[in-house]
Amino acid sequence: MSQASSYSPTEIVDRTRTWVRENFLYMRPNWKFGDDDPLLGSGVIDSVGVIELVEFLQSAFPFKIADEEIVEQNLGTLNAIGRFVHAKCQANGTAAAASGGGSAAGAGVLLRPRA
Amino acid sequence: MCGFAGIARREARGVAPRILERMAAVLRHRGPDGLGLHADERVGLAHARLSIIDLAGGAQPMANGDGSLFVVYNGEIFNFPALKDELVGRGHVFRTRSDTEVLLHGYTEWGEAMLDRLNGQFAFAIYDRRDGSLFLARDRFGILPLYHAERGGDLYFGSEVKALLASGELPRALDAAGVDEVFTFWAARPPRTPFQGIWALEPGCCARWRGGRLTIRRWYALDFETAAAEQPGAVEQLDELMRSGVRQRLLADVPVGGYLSGGLDSSAVCALATRESSAELRTFSVAFADPRFDESAHQQDVAAAVRSRHAVQHIGPEDIARVFPDVIRHAETPLVRTAPAPLFLLSRLARERGIKVVLSGEGADELFYGYDLFKETVVRQFCLRQPASPSRPRLFDRLYPYLAPGARAGEFWRRFFLSAGSPEDPLFSHMPRFRLTAWIKEFYSDDFRAGLGGFDALGELRDALPPAFVHWSTLQRAAYLEMVTLLSPYLLASQGDRMAMAHGVEARVPYLDHRLFEFAAALPDRSKLRGLHEKHILRRWAANLLPTSAAQRTKQPYRAPDVPAFFEGNAPDYVAELLDETSLKRSGVWDAGAVAGLVRRCRTGQATGVREGQALVAILSTQLWQREFLQTPIESGASKYESGKFVLAN
Repeated sequence: MSQASSYSPTEIVDRTRTWVRENFLYMRPNWKFGDDDPLLGSGVIDSVGVIELVEFLQSAFPFKIADEEIVEQNLGTLNAIGRFVHAKCQANGTAAAASGGGSAAGAGVLLRPRA
Repeated sequence: MCGFAGIARREARGVAPRILERMAAVLRHRGPDGLGLHADERVGLAHARLSIIDLAGGAQPMANGDGSLFVVYNGEIFNFPALKDELVGRGHVFRTRSDTEVLLHGYTEWGEAMLDRLNGQFAFAIYDRRDGSLFLARDRFGILPLYHAERGGDLYFGSEVKALLASGELPRALDAAGVDEVFTFWAARPPRTPFQGIWALEPGCCARWRGGRLTIRRWYALDFETAAAEQPGAVEQLDELMRSGVRQRLLADVPVGGYLSGGLDSSAVCALATRESSAELRTFSVAFADPRFDESAHQQDVAAAVRSRHAVQHIGPEDIARVFPDVIRHAETPLVRTAPAPLFLLSRLARERGIKVVLSGEGADELFYGYDLFKETVVRQFCLRQPASPSRPRLFDRLYPYLAPGARAGEFWRRFFLSAGSPEDPLFSHMPRFRLTAWIKEFYSDDFRAGLGGFDALGELRDALPPAFVHWSTLQRAAYLEMVTLLSPYLLASQGDRMAMAHGVEARVPYLDHRLFEFAAALPDRSKLRGLHEKHILRRWAANLLPTSAAQRTKQPYRAPDVPAFFEGNAPDYVAELLDETSLKRSGVWDAGAVAGLVRRCRTGQATGVREGQALVAILSTQLWQREFLQTPIESGASKYESGKFVLAN
């Protein structure tokens, strides 16, 4: 089993929620923001915030987001982010294992969160 | 231009000269060349003069021949020579060469109907001793300011709020709805101001005070016509109007200069000014250290093309932070942008170079659909007709390349515009801006939010729209909204008159000659915005006046640094002091915890977006504004009045 699969959707959602609260909801600490509430439609993030969100996700989890993947289906809610990032990390892990691109230790280094 | 102030008493108990001196002294920056007072048992008038026309004979307050009328006046009547000729033909005898005297004779001859004959930028008060009444009026577009307040049947009025407060007879308090409008529209919408009980006379309005009662009426209304096609000769007509407008605005007994942004509007004005005048034109520009804001290369090109003597005010982030408290003192309002600060420094440069009148390109973007907002409105309408189209929203990337860094915001970036409002909403054109600005309100304290009591700035604006609004095109509606929410209360005030007059510089605005506005308002939309090409007819006209690069240059929004100005390098001490928890709690508008979060992101360089930049400027400027106007006495600075001149007290 690769390191990537250690990031469950729940863990991804939790970390992202914490990050969103610290960076975009710091002025509304008591606001109840659900995991299925729209990040953009509810005004939590704006377009510049999306760029920050993408940078955060890429630094916190071992994957890259292509421009065409920056859509609401993938990043529109916390749960959508959990599903999307989990799937991407798993795909990365599978690809790394299939290519024999490194030892388990190497994959661990490759996939370790940068943040 | 000048500054004036006054008090009218319901009871005949007089106005002490020392009160009038105090009121005028705080307007000294508007009129450093002289001061005049008039006081009788009912009315007191004070005037701080900036001498531009009839340097020897235009002192104010000015009385008519029999002493029955007195006027205090700020502005210029550009067609006053023609009006004077007409009045002389009707038997009036003039004692001076000034346009001020035309107001007295014109009022005698035509009464309030005189206003329709005036071409200019003005605010004035005429005291009619015959019936003890006072008549206040403001120009069509609100180029010049005029405020008023009532207390116990007495009327207080003046060119700036600080003059009213300096009377010492008015309470000083924040108007929550006025402040909330700043964080909706960028400025309180006249007649509201951020000061409780102090009102702005709306552009195009006049007021009559008599016996303790003030009656306000509109004397000029913005209107638009529906035209199917551009009339033959429209470009020639535009040429005549532009030449006439600039020629009239060169009328002065002092040298006239020009502000040069590097864009089409100011370039065309400066080019015409050099053609219409034998004197060498002095031009002035701001240049930013940050290349994202800088237009200096274009400015230099235009200055060379029009052969002006050009001077540049270089602006670094630290300059903005340094002068920001002065900017707020002169703007008299919280702000959401730092853009007035460079203009504050620019007027200082002009004045240092001996120029106290400048021509400005303001107004053209509203008349000829120059702002991106007009294109944005068209694109949003276009997209919403086919919401499923994946290609249509990509037009937003073309519109705002400087706001969407790279393509990384993708779909989200475009959806911001598409989700901002329905085409059925009369405010459709402005909803993205209003929504973006209103994000500032996330930082309100609970008490301040509760104090607003459900005030709805947008709802009030919808209710205040004129009946003709429904007959106008979407773009005409956008132009109207732009003029009443931004042009008059922000661009002409916080960025215009206030920053220029901070250093005794009069800004003249040829594009806001009402004849030109009425010409533009009768053009078909397509003459102004063709496809996504703005100011179409203006470009066609300017093709023979300017180098192609200037005539065809795409509009670049005027912006200035915000967060870096206050958090990079050696920030002034006031930044930390005013964003401190104790200070925030004392002033009460903002939630200290929320502001602490924003400050943390500013310090770490994370607050790079427009909305956090706006929020920071809003919070800091509100703190400065409260400290300046609500928490400390209104001082007259270090000046006092002696023998008709302002002199420094120390």
